[in-house]
Amino acid sequence: MSDPAPQQPTWLHRFRSHRVGLRSRILATFTLGVAALAVVLAFTTYGLTRSTLLRQREDTALRQAYSDARGVRALLRSNPTSPKAALDGVSDVGPAEPLLHYRGEWTNTSPKFTSDSLPAGMKRRVVDEQTAAQMLYSDGQPVMAVGIPLPDVGATFFEVVPLDELSRTLGSVRVSLLGAVAITTAAGVLLGAVAARRAVQPLADAAQAAQVIAGGGLGTRLEPGDDPDLQVLAGSFNDMASALQQRVERDARFASDVSHELRSPLTTLAASAEVLNSRRDELPDKAAAAVDLIVADVGRFQSLVEDLLEISRFDAGAVRLNREDLLVAEFVRQAVSVSTLPDAHLEVDPRAEDLVIQADKRRLARVVANLLENARYYGGGEVTVTVEPSQPEGEEIEDVQIAVEDHGPGVPPDERLLIFERFARGGSAGRRGSSEGAGLGLALVDEHVRVHGGRVWVDDRSDGEEGARFIIELPAEHA
Amino acid sequence: MGTRILTVEDDERIRAAVKLALEDEGWTVMESGNGEDAVEQFHRQPADVVLIDLMLPGMDGFELCRSIRRQSDVPIIMVTARNDTHDVVAGLEAGADDYMTKPFVPKELSARIRALLRRAKPPQPGHARLTFGDLELIPDEGKVLVAGDEVHLTKTEFRLLCELAANPGKVLSRESLLDRVWGYGYFGDGRLVDVHVRRLRTKVEADAANPRHVVTVRGLGYRLQA
Repeated sequence: MSDPAPQQPTWLHRFRSHRVGLRSRILATFTLGVAALAVVLAFTTYGLTRSTLLRQREDTALRQAYSDARGVRALLRSNPTSPKAALDGVSDVGPAEPLLHYRGEWTNTSPKFTSDSLPAGMKRRVVDEQTAAQMLYSDGQPVMAVGIPLPDVGATFFEVVPLDELSRTLGSVRVSLLGAVAITTAAGVLLGAVAARRAVQPLADAAQAAQVIAGGGLGTRLEPGDDPDLQVLAGSFNDMASALQQRVERDARFASDVSHELRSPLTTLAASAEVLNSRRDELPDKAAAAVDLIVADVGRFQSLVEDLLEISRFDAGAVRLNREDLLVAEFVRQAVSVSTLPDAHLEVDPRAEDLVIQADKRRLARVVANLLENARYYGGGEVTVTVEPSQPEGEEIEDVQIAVEDHGPGVPPDERLLIFERFARGGSAGRRGSSEGAGLGLALVDEHVRVHGGRVWVDDRSDGEEGARFIIELPAEHA
Repeated sequence: MGTRILTVEDDERIRAAVKLALEDEGWTVMESGNGEDAVEQFHRQPADVVLIDLMLPGMDGFELCRSIRRQSDVPIIMVTARNDTHDVVAGLEAGADDYMTKPFVPKELSARIRALLRRAKPPQPGHARLTFGDLELIPDEGKVLVAGDEVHLTKTEFRLLCELAANPGKVLSRESLLDRVWGYGYFGDGRLVDVHVRRLRTKVEADAANPRHVVTVRGLGYRLQA
């Protein structure tokens, strides 16, 4: 699937990539969205509040200034030589500090605000007989300066009103808004997390269902639920699972059916071959030779079909064990005695004499017989069977090992896993498979032992001489 | 009158091959290709051993087995396709004495038939009667009475009861019973014993679910008590 978009900036790339998870992306988007919204709202609110408050303050200041200006004008008319007296007349009222420019001189009541506090532009405007109002910073403090021309007495009247109250109000508004943004963002994070989890949950469910299916639970399905969007996911998932299940079951049935079908003709062949064999002496030489071949291969054919059927059953998960508690020592003795190598030398470690395994004795006997058959066919020389606990002396016994050793060529280390694979061929693998099978013998040994909760592997002889040592390990406990 | 074997198998070639092999043993073989026909043949001329393949067209092997059991205690060997399914247990519960899995070699089949024929004879002549509470055994006559009423047991069930009775109060392990009754060694199928004990209980116990005579001893085996 090619990405049609051209070069994207890297941060965007990473945001869209899978390294940042879906949940994180939903959470981040949510939080950023909420935060951005909150910030915009806060700014707007603050801006509006500030301009409204300022305007109100301006109006109040202007009104006050006008009233004071009228007072000063009146006082100046009555006492034209004393501007100071005129100012004193109004300066007590409120926090406003008056300034007066009269006959070329500046008079002020407070040392804080002088004519230098007023901007030149403002002074010029008022001189030109225009009222002016302006917000300035005097010594870092916000103040409102108002200027009113008094042309009939030849003066200009200014008032400077400190705005610290306003400033304080705005300050607390700022703090509240910041707090609101913070809380909203936090709420956004929480909601984002919840939304993210909710959104991703169906995916987590699907993932878990897929896991169960992969593990063998082919019947697992997803609940469709009420959400129409999610129903699509559940629907297709379930369809896929059903298709998979059918496929697997069909494959397993196929192998099983084929082998099954072969059993009937095999029965006929085996029976007829036996009848022929019992009359072998009545036959002319050529016919007798032919009968010998038939009898030999019918037996081989039978083993092959059995093995195939068995392995297909393992694949279908249709193997059912007939487990019993068995004394492992006794079991091994019996298994050896019915194998093709009943004279194999058997050694049982005294610690293993009372060990019990939970096993299907017929299956396990076939396993032991298989290993003995291999040892005889490919190994040669004396074959030894040992039974001993896996754990060394002193430790609690949890497993038992049944080992079959031969004096054959051994198995090279790089083939030791290969030989247990199905239809393993090449090198000693082909030679080590069941003599009558298609290379399934050891694969079946592996499956049988595994289904009993154990494992099988091949190693060097314990005494270092040339040969192979096949070991079956099974869980065991004291009787 | 030689021993007569009735084989019920729908595959005609298997039937023919088995007939050839069994006739080599000196037995007379009667053949049938389906359940209904087999019932009829058996009714006309009962056999000494019956061989039933479970996979039959129409009336299946289980039904045929039950049908024959209703009229006779004749030894029945069931032929199954696999031995790890419930077929074996179901077949045994339907009344079979033993089973074989396909493909089998006629030598094996002959051995089993011989074992079943041997079972027809009681194990220890000389004991007149054995009594265990309301359970009475007359081995010589092959009779079993429960509270005075005669109960019909198959040869195998009877043999099983006799072995348990020969060791009154003693626990006999599954292996031991498999050996004594069926002639199987260590690798005999324990289910043969288990199902036959169940069948025995339905016939001789007042309440098969709570047996008083044929008792299970956990982990050890079975025991017969009064």
